[in-house]
Amino acid sequence: MIVSGTIYGVVLNDADERAALADAFNADPYKAPPQAPVVYIKPRLCATVGGAPVPLPAGESEVTVAATVALLFGRDATAGSEDAALSHVEAACLALDVSLPSASYYRPAIAERCRDGFLPLGHAGDVCLPDEIVTFVDGVEAHRWPLSRLVRSAEKLIAELSSFMTLQAGDLLLIGLPGEAPRARAGQSVRVEAEGFAPIAVSITTEAALAEVA
Amino acid sequence: MARRARIAHAGRAVWATVSEDGTALALAGGGSVAADEAQWLPPVTPGASIYALGLNYADHNRELGFAAKQAKPLVFLKGGNALVGHGGTTPRPADANQMHPECELVAVIGRPARNVSEAEALDYVSGYTVANDYAIREYLENYYRPNARVKNRDATTALGPWIVDAADVPNPQALSLSTTVNGQEVQHGSTADMILSVAGLVEYLSGILTLMPGDLILTGTPHGVHFCAAGDEVVTEISGIGRLVNRLEAA
Repeated sequence: MIVSGTIYGVVLNDADERAALADAFNADPYKAPPQAPVVYIKPRLCATVGGAPVPLPAGESEVTVAATVALLFGRDATAGSEDAALSHVEAACLALDVSLPSASYYRPAIAERCRDGFLPLGHAGDVCLPDEIVTFVDGVEAHRWPLSRLVRSAEKLIAELSSFMTLQAGDLLLIGLPGEAPRARAGQSVRVEAEGFAPIAVSITTEAALAEVA
Repeated sequence: MARRARIAHAGRAVWATVSEDGTALALAGGGSVAADEAQWLPPVTPGASIYALGLNYADHNRELGFAAKQAKPLVFLKGGNALVGHGGTTPRPADANQMHPECELVAVIGRPARNVSEAEALDYVSGYTVANDYAIREYLENYYRPNARVKNRDATTALGPWIVDAADVPNPQALSLSTTVNGQEVQHGSTADMILSVAGLVEYLSGILTLMPGDLILTGTPHGVHFCAAGDEVVTEISGIGRLVNRLEAA
């Protein structure tokens, strides 16, 4: 997987989560439901391939582990149509978007989402989209979500995003996160599986433990 | 003064050294290009992470109706698609009647920085440049605000013209910033009024993640919101750093 560009993701692309938050969307600080896709960016040092452990910062007891699909762009998508959207994508892999638990979507969640090692990726393969993604914590199924829950399909997401920002060759796009993603603590293992994709297997550790190894 | 620019030359992107009088760009392999004929590119290492600050000047915060100091720094990231070099053009959508320029000091990271203290932070900064980070207020939404439709549009963050070595900027908190639109000054401020200084920002960010060489920190903008029209020439200038020219085109 050659990610030479920007790593984009979207939150609030899960229909179940949106339904649960419908009242909150009309209250402060949001005041109105989201219109455009809600985008976040992860620095490249978030991304790891090959099962590097995920480090918890000091003072944090657990992380949210949200499984999704990452699409790697091979050609620039600019103002693309929905029909042609996936023609700009040339590889796909599973991704585990790790974050410190947070209920707020008001301000960009840098301290929660942008930490080193907070985006384990699976090995890349041909472009396809699975029906569902399953997450195991310590070998026990902890979460399962069908991608039919996406408010905007991958095609629709690419079309809408590229109407105001080019998704460039080398960029990675995470297509949505489940609102009720499971959590994991230091010492636990997390595995993500989906049919047709190489799995992700990582352990959760602490920054302090990683520093000792180094 | 040591300044380096990134230009398109002979079919590729190259770094060039700016002459003392600013009229020539010396190429690494010998020869030079006249500055007024150069194809300026954003002076950024490909793949660098781009961090930007919102609400980092107390006077600007009051202007926008926010508390002078936020409970925690408002940081957002930008993609490489957002950048455009000196002398470039920025699309202004037809419905963007509230599109305004923002003059910002940009710090360029020179060494990997993780858990760096404010006292040591400037040792990790290798240089400075200028950004004009446009915002379009009509497109604001209260989700991960400032949201991507406002702050991650193609070519809406002008950057350059060059990077000045940190050694030539003894105090990054004593620089004057200004923006002119068609020659008329619309924004004026001082980096002395930043809420979190460059050093404070390096400390804050490096406490969360590793800042890598080439990464950029756009440090926020002072008071002065002026809405622009297509065809406007917008110049953002920081004393001792540079004068960055951009033109808005109808899109």
